[in-house]
Amino acid sequence: MDFPSSLRPTLFMTGPLGLNDVSDLSFMCSWQNALTLPEAQPQNLKNGALHVTKDLLWEPATPGPLPMLPPLVDPWEPGLTAQDLLFRGGYRYRRRPRVVLDVTEQISRFLWDHGDVAFAPLGKLMLENFKLVGTGSCTKKTTVVNVKKLLQDLGGHQPWGCPWAYLSNRQRRFSILGGPILGTSVASHLAELLHEELVLRWEQLLLDEACTGGALAWVPGRTPQFGQLVYPAGGALDRLHFQEVVLAPGDNPQFLGKPGRIQLQGPVRQVVTGTVQGETLLAVRSDYHCAVWKFGKQWQPALLQAMQVDKGATGISLSPHLPGELAICSRSGAVCLWSPENGLQQVYKDPETLVFRDSSSWRWADFTAHPRVLTVGDRTGVKMIDTQGPPGCGLLLFRVGAEASCQKGERVLLTQYLRHSSPECLPPTLHLVCTQFSLYLVDERLPLVPMLKWNHGLASPILLAQLLPPPQPGCVQPLLLGGQAGQLQLLHLAGEGVSAPRLAGPPQSLPSRTDSLPAFPLLEPKIQWRLQERLKAPTIGLATVVPPLPLASTPGLVVFQLSVAGDVFYQQLRPQTDSSPHRDARPPSDTRPDCHAPTASWTPQDTAGCSQWLKALLKVPPAPPVWTAPTFNHHHLLGSIELQREEGAVQQLGVLREAMAQGRLLLQRDLGSLPMAEPPPAPESGPADELSERLGEAWAGRGAAWWERRRQVRTSGPKRQPRRPKRRTQLSSTFSFSGHVDPSDGTSPPHSPEGPPAGAVPRSPMTSPSQELTPDAWVQGIPSERRQTLRDYMAKLPLQRDTPEHAGTPPSSQASSTRATHSRQHTPILSGSQRPRKKPRMGF
Amino acid sequence: MSDFSEELKGPVTDDEQVETSVLSGAGMHFPWLQAYVETVAIGGKRKKDFAQTTSACLSFIQEALLKHQWQQAAGYMYSYFQTLEDSDSYKRQAAPEIIWKLGSEILFYHPKSNVETFNTFADRMKNIGIMNYLKISLQHALYLLHHGMLEDAKRNLSEAETWRHGEKTSSREILINVIQAYKGLLQYYTWSKKKTELSKLDKDDYAYSAVAQDVFNHSWKTSVNISALIKIPGVWDPFVKSYVEMLEFYGDRDGAQEVLTNYAYDEKFPSNPNAHIYLYNFLKRQKAPRSKLISVLKILYQIVPSHKLMLEFHTLLRKSEKEEHHKLGLEVLFGVLDFAGCTKNITAWKYLAKYLKKILMGNHLVWVQEEWNSRKSWWPSFHFSYFWAKSDWKEDTALACEKAFVAGLLLGKGCRYFRYILKQDHQILGKKIKRMKRSVKKYSIVNPRL
Repeated sequence: MDFPSSLRPTLFMTGPLGLNDVSDLSFMCSWQNALTLPEAQPQNLKNGALHVTKDLLWEPATPGPLPMLPPLVDPWEPGLTAQDLLFRGGYRYRRRPRVVLDVTEQISRFLWDHGDVAFAPLGKLMLENFKLVGTGSCTKKTTVVNVKKLLQDLGGHQPWGCPWAYLSNRQRRFSILGGPILGTSVASHLAELLHEELVLRWEQLLLDEACTGGALAWVPGRTPQFGQLVYPAGGALDRLHFQEVVLAPGDNPQFLGKPGRIQLQGPVRQVVTGTVQGETLLAVRSDYHCAVWKFGKQWQPALLQAMQVDKGATGISLSPHLPGELAICSRSGAVCLWSPENGLQQVYKDPETLVFRDSSSWRWADFTAHPRVLTVGDRTGVKMIDTQGPPGCGLLLFRVGAEASCQKGERVLLTQYLRHSSPECLPPTLHLVCTQFSLYLVDERLPLVPMLKWNHGLASPILLAQLLPPPQPGCVQPLLLGGQAGQLQLLHLAGEGVSAPRLAGPPQSLPSRTDSLPAFPLLEPKIQWRLQERLKAPTIGLATVVPPLPLASTPGLVVFQLSVAGDVFYQQLRPQTDSSPHRDARPPSDTRPDCHAPTASWTPQDTAGCSQWLKALLKVPPAPPVWTAPTFNHHHLLGSIELQREEGAVQQLGVLREAMAQGRLLLQRDLGSLPMAEPPPAPESGPADELSERLGEAWAGRGAAWWERRRQVRTSGPKRQPRRPKRRTQLSSTFSFSGHVDPSDGTSPPHSPEGPPAGAVPRSPMTSPSQELTPDAWVQGIPSERRQTLRDYMAKLPLQRDTPEHAGTPPSSQASSTRATHSRQHTPILSGSQRPRKKPRMGF
Repeated sequence: MSDFSEELKGPVTDDEQVETSVLSGAGMHFPWLQAYVETVAIGGKRKKDFAQTTSACLSFIQEALLKHQWQQAAGYMYSYFQTLEDSDSYKRQAAPEIIWKLGSEILFYHPKSNVETFNTFADRMKNIGIMNYLKISLQHALYLLHHGMLEDAKRNLSEAETWRHGEKTSSREILINVIQAYKGLLQYYTWSKKKTELSKLDKDDYAYSAVAQDVFNHSWKTSVNISALIKIPGVWDPFVKSYVEMLEFYGDRDGAQEVLTNYAYDEKFPSNPNAHIYLYNFLKRQKAPRSKLISVLKILYQIVPSHKLMLEFHTLLRKSEKEEHHKLGLEVLFGVLDFAGCTKNITAWKYLAKYLKKILMGNHLVWVQEEWNSRKSWWPSFHFSYFWAKSDWKEDTALACEKAFVAGLLLGKGCRYFRYILKQDHQILGKKIKRMKRSVKKYSIVNPRL
């Protein structure tokens, strides 16, 4: 192989990062990167000038990417934002805003929403201090509180955070008695867990490294026209889809039939494909599993092997040299060479980071030009290790330090072996290293000194990168970079033969999904907002295809992108055709405002496609409503035992008692056949309430449904009156009564409230009427940021059997997999478009 | 309530770097943190309208640049100059550099800009950001060089070289060295032009002595300019190359060799393969003894075993009398073929086939086995798979034959690659294949002769 005959002058400094005073001098501007020093003879000067292609531009065919597939039926909600986590307000006069996590608000919300969980164990412990029934008799003990009196004092009013609320002596006594316990133990224990969780969430918000590498891949098919997109789908991203796509010449890519599916048991984080010696493999990484499939003659995936990674897998890559060989790395710092035939071979293990100490456990492994040498990367550097050499030795390929003139706080986000270079273009020894600020090209034959550095300036972490084949018979290879927030950048790399790698032209940005907003019809603000949120969802996968040349008239490029909401968008690009409007060639009188005014515009076909997609999106039910805390009206809870008996619902009472004794949820079906469509005991609403309710419903886009319902209610109005007492008992079934009360105590079962529960403001007005509190729904309704805390907390409680979600969730799985409990009930079928395909094989 | 500003970095924008560098430890910086924080009112000083408009303008410029809308970017740039008036002293100081970066980029690509515009801009910027005088001068000179204006570039660098302002810092000294070296490089270009002129002239020509005098003058200046820089650790390929060429021209061989040896063997320098390549080429030109050439290439072999000079290295080793060199010769060939970029190098395969046969005939089976042991687990699927047999035969029959011979020697006659090539009926190569079959039977390491 040739080595560049003359490298760009660079100062070489060793030391920690942040010393980039002079050494950065040759990397300041992109035009500098494009320049090369003329070779020894000044006659060659003209050739040097020719190297810079001034107008290397890929023109998008449309102003923004278009949806490729109809949206999935799984509801999606945008995740946490900084607003949910950060403390608002603060010191106004600080020069710098301070980042403070808002634990107080989260814990207060938690206590309101999950008060049953938070306080039930204490209630149980303090059972002997409460006197629940026997209203008349007064107890002598000062440590026993009469609950009924206490509640009467409260008068149904719960002083929600109101410090001036009236307090009776009894209440004061109670608060003195319970204060130390209620105030400290619950709060401190919970706060600790919650704090831990919030830190985790905040770090995840700042940098979500799970999908490093991307979860979208293109598998070429029988003919160059066909291919398959492989990507995860489903609310929990745990269903692997194989969607056949046809690249019709001169037309938009079209999908064929329904996708094949494989149901997995964890969210898919990374999908990698590669063809080596005619054998196409597909490698998939989940949080704790890795699996590899092989595409057979019929382009059907067949599972080769799946493997569990206890410490959590962070990266997987396919060997570009040997068929069926992979490299995987885990959070423990181990890197293994894995081939389905020979099994695992640990080639490196170091729990510490390479260059300096960093807390991140993220690791990455990739191949190099030598099939037995791997690169191992972490946040502080990249090292080359010989798998056949003695363990522990290796050569640093990239160091976050003065060698590459790194900035303070700079860390490696992604490292990739640029494998798909055709030999006549870039040499096969180049590695890409991306940090928050810059992009480096490092040649493994000259470690530590980057061949090229470019400040990408992306405002989100670069976790996706792809080197594309040269579009034209020239020696410029596009390198596509993808930021998590959806930004795409295209760089043009040149460096054939004996010349050093360089930028062949100014970098270019590609439209992101939010640029497609104008293609959608004009919408109501609320739906518009929802669409915007959807388009803004983080990008987690990138795939590119060069459509077959003989078919397309001009060389082109199709970029597919996958968002975390499960949407696949595509964008067609073509190199600028009109022979570069070079400034010397242009007449000075030309007064076009800009030589590259965006010529692309939306065609009616595009907008029609977009509105169709939107229609399908709106059919998708919105994310399940925020969980509403069960409320109890204590007066009726205590005072209506007689009433209950009068009604003779002895049987239901028995069921309730039984459920309480077992500590499980009482479901509606336990209470026998009940009319399901019965509306919930809505607050008795006057005409004024009706108006606001109607407005509210109309705002939520359900105006017509509300009117329909209203009409039905009116027609059945007269019949409602006699049925009312009965309805109350039904309501009790919607309570989640996690507190463990012994029925033998003679306490009354929870009873229905008569009027609107005072002060109990439902957290969401959209609570569905007949929402059953099945375990799934129970978990789904809880805001995701609180699930883990809740689970941790429950795990430490003595009342584990009360927690319904423990049944369905393996303790090791992550928070996001709780959503999977819902979808796991699907039978894992790899369904073909028409006929049932090969026997499904479970991945994990 | 917990305070995270210590562990989780404070916002790091250009304008706040000063403060964070004081406050933060060695943690990671998130350039996008600022955007998150701005969505929540979490206190801190409110940005002034001025700061807001300038930062918005900056992002517009960057966006336009990435869309190659040079004229639009130039329009925004016009408004961005207000940042020079910023009341924030840190921002005011950082502004010239940002303006230079963006402005030079716009002017480099702008369809209506020309060298004069660029010159005017660069001259203005040099004096606005006094701190950036040297860097801008250097880049300006590179721009001029790119446009073929050698003389202007040289003048620019000379001006920068003599520029003095404030106290001397080590980094500025290095910069001045770099500038001098570039100046030296420019002088070298002129020199080399003169040299070609000289070679065209007759010695008896009356102009000869004048030109020769010129050539000598240049060389002296250049050596002063370049020699200072190439002592500082770095990658200085173009400078070293030109410097050595001049030294060589004037017969200062020892000087040239010293420069090259320092460049190659100084431990403070990065392990630059070119340093060794230059030294090797120099020694070759000087007709240095074979042992010296071998010792230079031995180091290059350790750094870049895939370099194309390795085949030359192999030839040298093969011709050497020492037995250990013969062994190394085999190692080098195997080493070259380990790399993905060299798998189709027919010369390497040819050498290996020939040399393997020679070694095995010379009863050095152990050498081959030593090399083969670490490769037998992966070479068969890397080089000698059925897939490659088919595709190699289709693309390059000569290559396929060489590979098949090696495969046969290393894996025995049962090897798939060997069998596939053997089965092919080729009229011209028929004889060769037959000969190959015989040799494999005789020398293959799989069934050692008893």
